[in-house]
Order: sequence, then C-alpha cells, then structure tokens
Amino acid sequence: MNTAAASKSLATSLNRPVGSRRFGLLIALGASVLILLLTLPLLDWISISNASKVAKSLGIEGNKLSKVGAKTHYSVLLFLDFVQKTKAGLLGFPAALLLMACVASLVLNVMFIIKLIINKPNKKGYLGVFVNAKGAYILTIISALGTFAYCMYANHTVEALKKKTTIGNAFRPTWVVIVVLVIAILAYVLIKIMEAQERKLYHEHGLLREIKKNWILFIFFFFCFVYFLINNYLPMSGIYFAFTQFNFRDGLFSSPFIGMKNFEYLVRADLWKLTRNTILYNIVFITLGNTLQIFFAILVSQCGVKWFKRVSQTLLLMPHFVSYVILKVLVYNILEYDIGVINSAIAASGGTRIDFYNTPAYWPFLITFFNLWKGLGYGTVVYLATIMGISDEYYEAAKIDGANIFQQIRYITLPLLKPTFIILLLYAIGGIFKGQFELFWQMVGNNGMLFNVTDILDTYVYRVTISQPMNMGLSTAAGLYQSVFGLIVVVVTNAIIKHNNAEYALF
Amino acid sequence: MKNDEEKVVFKGGTKIRKGASGVTFDIIKYGLLTIASIICVIPFILVISGSFSQNDIIMREGYGILPKAFTVEAYEAIFKYPQEILNAYKMTIYYTVVGTAVGLAVIVLTAYVISRKTFKYRNTVSFLIYFTTIFGGGMVPWYLMYTTILGLKGSTFIIWFPAIMTPFFVILMRTFITGSVPDAIIESAKIDGAGEGRILLSIVLPVLGPGLATVGLFLALGYWNDWYRSSLFSTSKATYELQFYLYNLINSAKALQEMADAGATVGVIDVPSQTTKLAMAVVTTGPVLLFYPFVQKYFVSGITIGAVKG
Repeated sequence: MNTAAASKSLATSLNRPVGSRRFGLLIALGASVLILLLTLPLLDWISISNASKVAKSLGIEGNKLSKVGAKTHYSVLLFLDFVQKTKAGLLGFPAALLLMACVASLVLNVMFIIKLIINKPNKKGYLGVFVNAKGAYILTIISALGTFAYCMYANHTVEALKKKTTIGNAFRPTWVVIVVLVIAILAYVLIKIMEAQERKLYHEHGLLREIKKNWILFIFFFFCFVYFLINNYLPMSGIYFAFTQFNFRDGLFSSPFIGMKNFEYLVRADLWKLTRNTILYNIVFITLGNTLQIFFAILVSQCGVKWFKRVSQTLLLMPHFVSYVILKVLVYNILEYDIGVINSAIAASGGTRIDFYNTPAYWPFLITFFNLWKGLGYGTVVYLATIMGISDEYYEAAKIDGANIFQQIRYITLPLLKPTFIILLLYAIGGIFKGQFELFWQMVGNNGMLFNVTDILDTYVYRVTISQPMNMGLSTAAGLYQSVFGLIVVVVTNAIIKHNNAEYALF
Repeated sequence: MKNDEEKVVFKGGTKIRKGASGVTFDIIKYGLLTIASIICVIPFILVISGSFSQNDIIMREGYGILPKAFTVEAYEAIFKYPQEILNAYKMTIYYTVVGTAVGLAVIVLTAYVISRKTFKYRNTVSFLIYFTTIFGGGMVPWYLMYTTILGLKGSTFIIWFPAIMTPFFVILMRTFITGSVPDAIIESAKIDGAGEGRILLSIVLPVLGPGLATVGLFLALGYWNDWYRSSLFSTSKATYELQFYLYNLINSAKALQEMADAGATVGVIDVPSQTTKLAMAVVTTGPVLLFYPFVQKYFVSGITIGAVKG
C-alpha cells in the first residue's frame, strides 16, 4: 500500500467542500454578503449630533451645516464629501485612509464571494481562499475600529478649532459599525479554525512558524523592507495630495480637500497634449528603436571579422554610458545657432543658419534621433544575445537546402527573435505612460517655445514641482493620472498575454 | 584541411557560405556598421576637439570636427580655481562608493532571501518589490517624503540613499545566485548544519563575483551619471553631484560669470565661455569612458541576463 498516493487521493477528495467545512464556508459566505450590504452607502456609519455647534466650530456661516450642503448622516464611503463641503482640511487624510481600508475590504469580500461561487480549489485546497477571506475580514475589522478612532479624532480636532465651543461627542459611529465589527470578528475566528485544519492536511504553516523557522531570512530582508517602505510604499499615501489644494501653510495632510478639482483643471489645461506627446513619442521610440536594434544585432552577428565585431559593438554601446547632462552638451554643441557644428558648416558653405532652439518642428525628429542614438547599443546587445543562442544547426540545414543569407535571416533568425521581441515590447507597452524624463528635460529644459511638441507628463510634473511649490497638488494629480493609467495598461496587457500565451506573462 | 577552415569560420560567428548574395551582404553590413559606429562616436569627438579649441575662434567661426587652433586654455580655466569642481568630484566619488557598497549589500541579502525555495513568502515578497515598478505615488509625494517628513533636504544621505536598489537589480542578482549556486548544494549545507548566514558567506558569496561586478557597475554608473537628486535635494554647492555641477555651469551664463569674477579678483579676466563647457563635459565623463572598455563585458552580461530572464 502506497501511503503517499493514498494521502494524495484523500487530499483530492477533500478538495470538494464536504461536511463541516462546507457548512463553515457557507457561514463565511453569509458573513461576507452581510458585511457587503452593511458597508455599501445604503446605511450610515457616522452620525453627527450637535450639528449647529459643529458648524460653528468649523466656521460655517449661520452655524448651519445645510448652508454648505453638508448632511448629518454619512456612510464612511462618502464622508470625504463632508470634509470638502465644510472645508475641514484636517479631517481629510484620516477619512481618505478609512475610505481606502473600506474599499479594500469590499474588494476582498467580493473576491472571496466570487471564489466560493466558482468553487475551484487549487493544489493547496482552500488555503488560498482562506488567505483571501482573512484579508477581507481583517480589513473590515480595521474599517470598523478605524471608524471609532476617526470619530474620536474628529471630535477632538473640531473642538480644538474654536476655543469656546464644546461639541462633546458630536461625531458618533452608528449601530451598523458595531454589527459589522462583530460579524467580521466572528467570521475571522471561524476562518482561522478551518484554516488550521486545512493546514494540517497540506503540511503548511503560518507566518509565526515561518518566522521561527527562517528568522534570519527575515532579518536579511529587513533592510530591503525599510528601503521600499520609505522610498515607495509610504509615499503612496501622498496620492492624497492630488485631491487637495496643496500648500505648506496648512500642512501636508491638512490642506483643503477639493475632490477632483485638480484633475478637472488638468483636463481643461494640458492633459491631452501631455498624454498625446508622452504616448506618441513612446510608440515611435518602441517601433523605430526595436527595428533598428534587431537590424544591427543581425548585422553584428553576421560579422566574420572578430575585431570589427568587438569594436563596433563597443562603439555602439558607448552613448549608453554618458549622462544626459553630457547629452545636453553634445546637442548644444551640434545645434547651437551661432557656433553649433551644423550651423557653422552651413555658414561656411554660404547657406542660411537654422534656428533649431526656436523651431518646434525639428524637435520630434531630434529627440527621436538622440533617443535612438543612446539606446541603440543596449538593445543590440539584448538581441545579439538571443541570436548567439540560436543553434548553428538551423543555419547549416538551411544552407544545405540552398537558402541564401537573406532567406536565412527571414526564416530562421527573425522568427527565433520573436520571443525576446515580445517580452521587450510588453515591458515597453507597460511603460507607455512613463516618459523618458531625463532625455526630454536635458534636451529641451525650460524652453517654452518648444513645449507644444516636447512637453511630456514627466517634464510637466518636474517643472511644476520645482518652480511652483504652490501647485504641487496639481503635479501630484498629473503624476497619479500617469501612475493609474500606466497600471491599467500593464494589467490589461498582461491579462491579454496571459490569455493568449501564458509563458510571456509579466506576472 | 578544408573542413578545419570552415570550422574556424563558424567559430567566428559567420554562418554563411559566400555566394553572390553573400558578397553584397558583406558590403552592406560592414558599411552600415561603420556608419552607425561613426554616428555613435562623432558627438564625443566634436566635444573633445571643441574643448581643445580657442574660444575666440569658436565665437567667430563656430565649432568644427577638428580643434580650431589647438589650446588647453579651457582646461587651464577650470583648474586654475579648482575647489568647486574638485569638491563635486570628491562628493560624487563619495556617493558612488557609499551608495554602491550599501546597495550591493542590501541587494545581495534581498536576492538571497527571494532565491531560497524554502522561504514561504518569496513570491509575495517578489511581487511587492516588482509592484513598485508598475505603480507609485509619483514624484511629488516621494519628494515630500524625503524633504518635509524626514527633513533630509540638503544632507548627503539623501543623495545616495534613494538609489541603492531597484527591483531590476534585485531580480538580476537573484538570477546570478540561482544560476551559480544550485539549490541542492544549499540544501545539503543546511543538512550539514550550516545556518543561512554561513551559507550566504561561505557558499554563495565566493561564486558571486560576476554578479557583484555587474550589479556594482550598474549602480556605480547610475551614481556617477546622476544629476536629478542633486537638483531636487541639494541646498548648497558643498553637496553637488558632478553632473549637476556641470548642468548648472552650462545652464546659466551666471555660473560662468561667477567663475570669471573669482578669476578677476586675482587678475584673470577671461574665462573662455564656450570651450569651458566642453572641457567640463570631458572632465566629468572622462573616468566613465576611460573605464568603459575594461568593464564593458560585465555590462554586456548584465544587460543580457537582465533582458532575457528579468
């Protein structure tokens, strides 16, 4: 009797929810649906009593919240509306955090429900589903407890605004919050119990056991964790600035909350132009860049003379190694009106000088040229590596069949370059909203004459941040727009690829 | 004999027997590669020859491919009062050394962790690292994080810290680790009682030379060529990066005027305005181009591995 096989078949049979587990999952499903219904903005989570005193503290004319269109009962999902209407900037950021937690809990609860309905356990049984459920319930608990904390914070903050007004416990969580909290805690305990049983089945363990077992790896990882926390994850909270009228006087997280006003302004002003420039340049860079790189990789690979191959590869890669500041010097040296190389040559042969720095029409070509110039060597190396990996046998066989060199390239090299090309293309498409900031900034800089054809999202954000600190809300909004659409493009591209050809998928 | 000859040719990379089309192709490929190589190099030659030209003649006739009236006046002008540029040099070397060293240490530790198959959260961790490349808060929150919240504006720490690692370098290093140390060796060392620290130090690190060199050079190049962080965070010339010093110099006639004024107090009035910029560019990028031929192979291996497996 093969025990391994037996336990495996047992595990497979257990993959269908049976007996007590099916019962438990049904209860969890009910809990999630209930949480969903209670969280949606049909019911109110926060109620405001003493409305007139609150209004007085907030400095609202006539001491009436209704004067500015604010209500006295709010769902936690809509509370930012209150913050915006009453111009209570101090209440904004915690409300935004609360909103995030709430939305995240909703998303996870929905995912959990969908997973249960589809009912397709993977090779680790329901462990993946349980992780999802735990996440959903923890976030729900955080939302509920957060609402309590937020009400205390709001009472405290609003009272501190005007010295003589006392508002008491004006901001109060409603009964709904308590119900949600209880449901979420119970459901969490239930899932924990079921998870413990499931783990035994698959010889899995949780975070604590893992820390005990691999604590030194956690220490190794700690430095990386701190770095990405400071450099990437904590700054994500600054996304909030995009929705505020940012200024240093009111403070980073307490500037007035203005909703989508920054985005509205951007759409009216420059957003279309910036997006168009960013995307069009990237499309041109991707197409021309890859074509040239493949072309030159094939040329280099076909070189029989070794030293020539080495020297040409070295020279092609050289532009990659200089900074963009140097690029600026090079460009200036070549294009300057009075003393630039091109204009000197034109003047010497009796022609009229070209005023590059004041003529926008040249710049799409110039920028494209120098981008290709700087990137040619890098891409060539990448494609060359793939070509070098192609077995000689293919070419041998083709030669025996009488294929000439062009036919060999057409029918052997190019098809075998396709995977590399597709991977690079995917990365490039994922980054289509990210402009080549350094290239554009160093070539064009603050030259407003050229902005119409050279301004991209990245240069706009940098310029506004450097020169107009009062408009940082605006540049954050532009950056956020770029990030969000970039993310959407990546996810959609990846989904399409995964559907068609899973091995090329990015994640 | 004939077979031997053919074999040698194959080794050299030529995968064709010469026919009529082969000869045409030879002319095309060598011709095009020569032209492309020249285009890649010529801007450098223009700058170098410009930096050795006489400023007066340049102002009259403009730049050319060859130096006009060979002189080193531009370099003399730079090094007559070298405190600022030497300081920028010193700071850049400091940033490069510290940043690369700290960066390599953290990258190796991280890459080792996510290369361990027995680490339960390696996929989660990898994804959280990768996620930073597809979504972020943008430049403003990042900037405010370092300046207003951490209050680091003007320090030297802030110039090197943000660039110590990128997801790409971590993945690259992980590829080097999994490529050079088979999992079985690590597992058997574990069975023999070696801890993770011991495995990293005595099994992984000794064979990680090429990986360290490659990622280290990528890091060092990034530090040497950076001007961005100085432009955001430097508050005085004492912390300027070399590239930012150059950027300021070429951007403002004022900076050149300051140089001239500094000279004027001691009797030198003429700072060759145009050629000095080029000479500065040469001085700034000189070390990179000098090292480049020797370290090129590491970069090529990094680019290759990063592109194929990253």
